[in-house]
This record gives sequence, structure tokens and C-alpha cells, in this order.
Amino acid sequence: MKTALVFAIEEFSVYDGPGIRSTVFLKGCPLLCSWCHNPEGQAFHNEICKNTNGCRGCGACVRAGENGALTENSVAACPAHALRWAASSFTPEELVSQLLKNRDLLTGGVTFSGGEPLSHPEFLQDCLQRLCGHLHRAIQTCGYADSDVFRAVLSHTDYVLYDLKLLEDAAHRHFTGVSNAVILENFRILCQSGVPFVVRTPLIPGVTDTEQNLAAIAALLKENGVDRIELLPYHTAAGGKYASLGRVFQPAFDESVAPNPRLELFKKNGIAAVVL
Amino acid sequence: MTELIQHRLALVEQGAYKHQRRERVDATALVWDKSPLLRDALLLKASLEAETPFLFPNDRIGFTQSRERFAICRDRDGNEIWTDWSCGNNTPDYAYALNNGLDHIQQAVAQKRAHCLPQQKEYYDAVLIALDAVLAFADRCRDDARKAGADDLYRALCRVPHQKPQTFHEALVMMKLLIFTLRANRNIHLTIGRFDQYMYPFYRHDVKAGIPRETLLELLEEFFLSLNVDTDTYMGAQQGDNGQSLVLGGCDKDGNDAFNDLSRLCMEASMELCLIDPKINLRVNKNTPDELYELGTQMTKLGLGFPQYSNDDVVIPGLIALGYAPQDAADYAVAACWEFTIPGKGMEIPNLRVMNFPLAVLEAVTESLLACDTFDELLAAVKEKICVQSDRLMAQAVFPYIPPSPYLSVFVEGCLEKGLDVSQGGAVYKNYGLLSAGISTAADSLAAINNVIYQVGDYDKQTLLDALAANFEGYAPLRNRLLDCPKMGNNDDAVDTIAGELMETFASHVNGKPHPFGGVFRAGTGSAQGYYTTSVDLGATPDGRKAGEMFGCGFSPSLVARVNGPLSCIQSFTKFDLSKIINGGPLTLEIHDTVFRNGEGIAKMAQLVKFFILRGGHQLQLNTINRDVLLDALAHPENHRNLIVRVWGWSGYFNELDAPFQQHIIKRTEFTI
Ligand code: SF4
Ligand code: SF4
Repeated sequence: MKTALVFAIEEFSVYDGPGIRSTVFLKGCPLLCSWCHNPEGQAFHNEICKNTNGCRGCGACVRAGENGALTENSVAACPAHALRWAASSFTPEELVSQLLKNRDLLTGGVTFSGGEPLSHPEFLQDCLQRLCGHLHRAIQTCGYADSDVFRAVLSHTDYVLYDLKLLEDAAHRHFTGVSNAVILENFRILCQSGVPFVVRTPLIPGVTDTEQNLAAIAALLKENGVDRIELLPYHTAAGGKYASLGRVFQPAFDESVAPNPRLELFKKNGIAAVVL
Repeated sequence: MTELIQHRLALVEQGAYKHQRRERVDATALVWDKSPLLRDALLLKASLEAETPFLFPNDRIGFTQSRERFAICRDRDGNEIWTDWSCGNNTPDYAYALNNGLDHIQQAVAQKRAHCLPQQKEYYDAVLIALDAVLAFADRCRDDARKAGADDLYRALCRVPHQKPQTFHEALVMMKLLIFTLRANRNIHLTIGRFDQYMYPFYRHDVKAGIPRETLLELLEEFFLSLNVDTDTYMGAQQGDNGQSLVLGGCDKDGNDAFNDLSRLCMEASMELCLIDPKINLRVNKNTPDELYELGTQMTKLGLGFPQYSNDDVVIPGLIALGYAPQDAADYAVAACWEFTIPGKGMEIPNLRVMNFPLAVLEAVTESLLACDTFDELLAAVKEKICVQSDRLMAQAVFPYIPPSPYLSVFVEGCLEKGLDVSQGGAVYKNYGLLSAGISTAADSLAAINNVIYQVGDYDKQTLLDALAANFEGYAPLRNRLLDCPKMGNNDDAVDTIAGELMETFASHVNGKPHPFGGVFRAGTGSAQGYYTTSVDLGATPDGRKAGEMFGCGFSPSLVARVNGPLSCIQSFTKFDLSKIINGGPLTLEIHDTVFRNGEGIAKMAQLVKFFILRGGHQLQLNTINRDVLLDALAHPENHRNLIVRVWGWSGYFNELDAPFQQHIIKRTEFTI
């Protein structure tokens, strides 16, 4: 059966859709955003992460691994319990039964996030179908997916949290590694689908929070009759997880500048902007 | 907040008046040759005679301590004796005092004395000395108030404490006088109890008389403030650990909803002042409206660590099963922290000894693991150890010597009637509580053994025993395997059921067993400092915990467990019948303060609390994660494995963030609340 790697199930997530929700983070994302705060969500394969604060530098993991690389044996050998696999593999059945254990408490429902949930279309649809009639289903997506896949998922989804990052394609390519053409196309599909949604924009200093970008987003929303947006200000702690994967966080922007939400731009267009 | 309160708050924060405090007096000469009963009353007299309470400008409540400490006395060698503490940790019968006035009570005592048995005479004498001393003190304070121009206070003291109060203000002044004089009598950790119930008639009186709500709020705030003016002189493990808690809401003695306007006013006052005292406990039940949970959550948001919730639907039947009269059980309050007691009726000692669950597991494992062919046999051996340990704890639980307290016994039902001091067994309820520590470590250990040894069988028994003896040195793969086994707090029956059985064994063995002081034992979920004292000397445990590492605090997941989140945690900890383990002890949940960022988060948090109650949780404490916790996590990461910090739509384990990022989050928390 189709499985997916889940790198976290966050209980009681209060800002990922209506009501009390659990958010499932699926591993793997086609984008490579310069500001990504979930680096373990980017690769589609499983990785070993190291709690850099717990590690005593004893080297047992390397000795237990192969050719200097960490393996399952390394995880077992660590005397500080500082290594773990970033994600666990689930079948839709296993994941859904785990989520349903909290059913009585989930006044909201479930949100699938990532990584990019639409990159696991078969798995995602299977889960959404199984949850139908039991829990309210939301997805949180960057919108980068085949439009047929997106349409198919929408038909099993009750609510969408849709990221709009940069409207200028060159900038989008530069900061996320991909074109935004399909994202904008899918946004139109979303607007016409009748599925309730909210648009979210990460406020990255000097990148997405420019007057030009936010004005373009406001205009796009107005054009599509969208009257609400959630803004997520960048925080320097975003890079906190990179070291545990042996990576270095190198943002292509100046982290020390506070992001500017430019609320007036939205107000002017009759859009309610909420800073989360 | 009114100008008057702002001004007073500033004075209290500056604390200049504290420098005017004079040294304590030594009353040895007055009391050393007296019997213990008289000595106590005379010591109170000496303390009060030495006091000239400090008055703030326009002070309407009064009674701010003017000495560094109350009077002391010394033994022949010059050592101070029993001058710091006496009977405590209970709630006096403030209602009795407020509804009668001290003159009336004094007359009743005098009558009792006139017709008493010879052996009771000294007790009544001591009570009368104490009451005389308190009344004389009150009269002197009344005159001082007049001289200082504190006219409102003066007028109130013209009536109280001699006669019963009529107005809300008079009742507040009388309360403050009682709290002050009981402290002078060294009765530490006395709680304020069901303030919104016994004060309600006086509040109603003023409302009916047309006094505006804002005026009453201001008075109440002045009273609350007065409970913070000299807490630095109180006895307690930490400053703030002083028992000044009050209980709001819940049902009345007949089971009717008792949350009233005054309960709400108390919550408003507490939220405006944002001070540590008084600590708020909220009694709730299945009929509690959502709106009250939301009000409670607004209070949690302030980051003071209260309200603490107690569930009537669980606590009341639990107390009745222990032998409390139904009307009394319905009137329960908490002693200093979370121990359930009955106001005005108890001399209970709810925290005498600590059941060490992981010790029982370790004893059974070292003695019988090799001989146990099935997990059930091992579980039975652990239960046996729990019973043996319970018996040992109960045998050790001899009543500690407590000096008499004739003044306090005026406010404890049963004492005046029997002519018997509260320290001698005069009270109606005299039960002993046993605390418990490490329930999750114990259940996790057994679940791990079950999985590794009995179900999967990838390690043998001797290897496990060797690994434990070696504190896992050289056994990293086995320890990692154990650490990855099911842990309590994740809504996993494989471990939660075991926890339920261990708790049940403890409770059914202990509950209702009589003790020589005339009460019974009661088992509880709380550990107080027990989670530290019982773990420091304990060797490695089969859950992967190393020797000496601390257990989780009281009734909460272990520190080596990785917990999914509050939804699973609540379910894990409400799987068994908590009414059977009702000495007290909350589940503590730590919630990151970003949850409270907007109204939506608050409503969701309130729902979470409600779920806990509806699922049969007994007591809940919510902490907003704040800077101090984060700093501690930095210094002692091993104690905070579950600390999750949420930053902009995502979460991470604080421990796993790179050091500079941890620093950053800490820096940020300065501004979060
Ligand atoms: S879309 Fe989200 S998960 Fe993917 S790289 Fe960008 S920030 Fe990371
Ligand atoms: S084995 Fe563990 S403690 Fe040792 S170097 Fe590797 S990660 Fe660090």
C-alpha cells in the first residue's frame, strides 16, 4: 500500500484552520525556499537528525555507520539518544486511525501540511477520503502541483490554507527555485472551486514584504473577490533546525530587518489582514 | 484600575515601608514557664502587642506588618523553639467568624468554660486569652486609624471584629484582621477558602444598598493588594508558596451552581492587578458554561500560573467515598496548593509521605524479573511491592508533634464543642494524605519491559538487569530501544492501562485505612517536591532514565518521554477513575503563550480545559511557557525534553534548536505576553 513519511503530527494547532486541529506534516517539497523553517520537510527521503545540544561528540555514531555516513546502526549506538529519524512511515490507514484517536477533542479537524502535501497525491487523497464524515479536512499548500491533482484533492477538502509568496515570477524562481505560474493557475482554480480558503503570505524582509509584492497580492485578492489574508512575519529562529540535519542556514536576505506587514495596502483594497 | 489602586500598587512595588519594619520581640520571659496551650496564647498576645501595623495613606484595609517577624521564644540553651510554625495547611471557618463577630464567640467560650470539665479549663482559658489579645489589638488599631486620618478603616473597626460586619468593606477589614492575627499565631499556609461564598451576603448587602460595582471592585482590589504587602515575611519553601489561595465557583452544599457576581468580581480584580496573591482556584463541573472557561483562559494568559481547575464531578464523589459527609464534600476547597480539604472542619495533613512508584518497579524487577515467565507475573510482583511500600509509609506516618493552637481552633469546627485543641484532635476531619511520584516513569518502565522482553524478545532479561546495574554505560542500543518504547502521555493503552493499575493498587491499599490520630489515609496523584526527593537516589529505570535523573513533576509525563501534544496527554491522564485517588495533585500542561495571541486561540484553549473536565480529569494546572522556563531549559535541557516552542506557524523542540536560535527565542519572550 502507498505510504508517506510524516515528520510531525502537531496536536492542538490553533492557527492552522478553524477549531482545535491536528496538523500532519508530510515530508518532501518541490520548492526550496530560502527562508524555509522546516528543512526536514524538504527532502523526500528520510534523514537522520541530530540533537546538536545533546551530542557529546563521542564519535560512536560515525564508527557504527558506513563510510563516515550515519545509518540505522548509528541511531542505535548513540549513548546520548541524540539521533533520530526525522520522519516515520505511515500508511493512510495507520495515519487516519492515529488521528481519529483524538476525534472527540478535535473541534476543528485535521490539516495536512508539509513539506508539500500535494506532492503525495495518492496518499493524501486516500487519507482525505477515509476522514470524510469523521473530521473536517484542511490542506496547507504552496500550490505547486499539477492542476488535475489539485482539482482532485479539492474535491475531498473542506478548507484550504493557500500560500502566496511572490507574484513576480523571476523573484519566485530566485527565492524558491521554481516558477509561480502553476501556483497562480491553481489559485484561480481554488477561487472558482467554492471550497472555503484563506490566503497566507510569509513576510520575508526585503523579499515578500516589499510594497510592490504586497500590492500585487492585494490586487490579485481583490480581483478574485478575496477579502482576507493572514500574514506570517519571518522570525530569525526559522533557521534553528538546519544544524540538526548537518546543513547550514544561508538565507538570501537580511534576517536582522523586521518584516513590514504594510497593513494599509490591504486596508485600502478592503482586505482584512491578520498578522499571526 | 482606579487612581487609588494604581497609587497603592506603586507603593507596594517600591516597598519603601518595608524598611520601617522593626526587629522581632523576644517573649521568652513571658511564656517560658507556661504550659504549651497557654504559651501559644501568650505568644500571640506578645506578638500583637508588639505590632503597630503600617498604614498607607487613606488605607481602608490596614494590617500591614510592622515587625520583621512575630514574637519568638527560646529554650534554656537560647535556641528558638517552635516559633515559626504551628497548625496550618487548612482553611479556617471564616464564615463562622464573619457571621457571629468575636464578642459573641467570646461569650460562647466563656459559657463553655463555666460548665467545662476540669481538664478542659486550660484550653478554654487559652482561647479566651487569645481572643482578648486579638480584640485589644483591633481596638488599638482602630484608634491608630483615627489618629492617622484613615476614617473609613476607623469606622469599620468600630464595628468589626467585635460585632459581625454588615457591609462588604467591614467584612473585608475583618478578613484581613483574621488573616493577620492567624499569621501572628504562626498558622502558616492557611488558605482563604471559598471567599465568593462566605463573603457573598456582605457583597449583596452593598449591591442592594445601591453601591456601584466599581466601588466594590476597588475595595476588593485594595484587599487583594493587601495580601501582597508583606509576603516576603511569610514562611514557605519559596516566596509565593504561602497558601494564600482562594477557591471560586463550583456548587453549594446542596449541589446548586454557586458561581456568582462576586466570583466574577474576584477574577476581574485578580486580572487587573496581575499579582501573585491571592492565587485563584476555579471549581468547575459538567454544567460550567464555556464563557467561564474563557474567562479562566484570559487569566491563564497573564502567565501567573492560575487559575487551577478542580472538577466537582470527580472530587465530591471521591471525598464522599473517603467518608466525608456529602454536604461537606460539596463544600471542598484546596489547602495550600492543591490538596482537597473541607473549610473550617479539618486538621488534615495531606502531604505526609511519598509513594515512589519507580522504586516499587525497580525492586520487583531486580528481585523477580528472572523468575517471571509472563508480563502479568511481573506486574503482580510490582503491585505487591506497591502494597509493601504503602504499608511502610503508613507505619512511618506518625503524627508529627504540632504545637497547640487555641486561637486557630476557634475557627475549626469541633474544637470549641469538644473543649479540645485543634492540635489534639478537636477537628471533625483528621485524615492523612500520601503523595505519589513517578507514576509515568513506572508505567513507562513496565511498558518497555513488556515490549522488549516479553513481546519482541530482542533482548534477554539478564542483559536488561546488567544494563540497569551499569546505569546503561556500554548499553546504548538497549537504552535507545527502551527510550523509544511507548510512553505515558501519548494516549497509548499499552502504557496508560499499566499506570491505571498501579494507581488503583496504591489507592485501594491506602484509602480508608485508619491511623491512630482518628482519621484515615487518602492516596493522591500529587508529588509536591517528592518528584525530586524520590528520584535523586534511585538507580537507572527500564524506561531508559539514568540514575538520579528527576521524574516528571507529580501527575505528568516523564521527562524522557517525547509527548505528542496536549490532546494525547489529557487522554492518557484521564483514563482511570481519578475520584479514587483524590488527595489532590493536578495534571500540569505547559502551553506556549502564542496560543493566547488572539481571541480564537483563547476560545480553543478554553475548549481544551473543558474537555479535560468532561473526560473526568480531577485537577488541571496550565502554564504558559515563558522566559524563565526557557532559561531553565537552556541550563538544564534534560529537564525540558518536551518543551515545544511555536514560532510563526511552526513548532520545534526547544532542545533541538541551535544555540543561537534558542537565545533568540528567549530574547523574544521578553515581549510575548
Ligand atoms: S514551500 Fe514551505 S516547506 Fe516547501 S521549501 Fe518553501 S517554506 Fe519549506
Ligand atoms: S554517537 Fe551521539 S553523542 Fe556521540 S557523536 Fe554521535 S550523535 Fe553525538
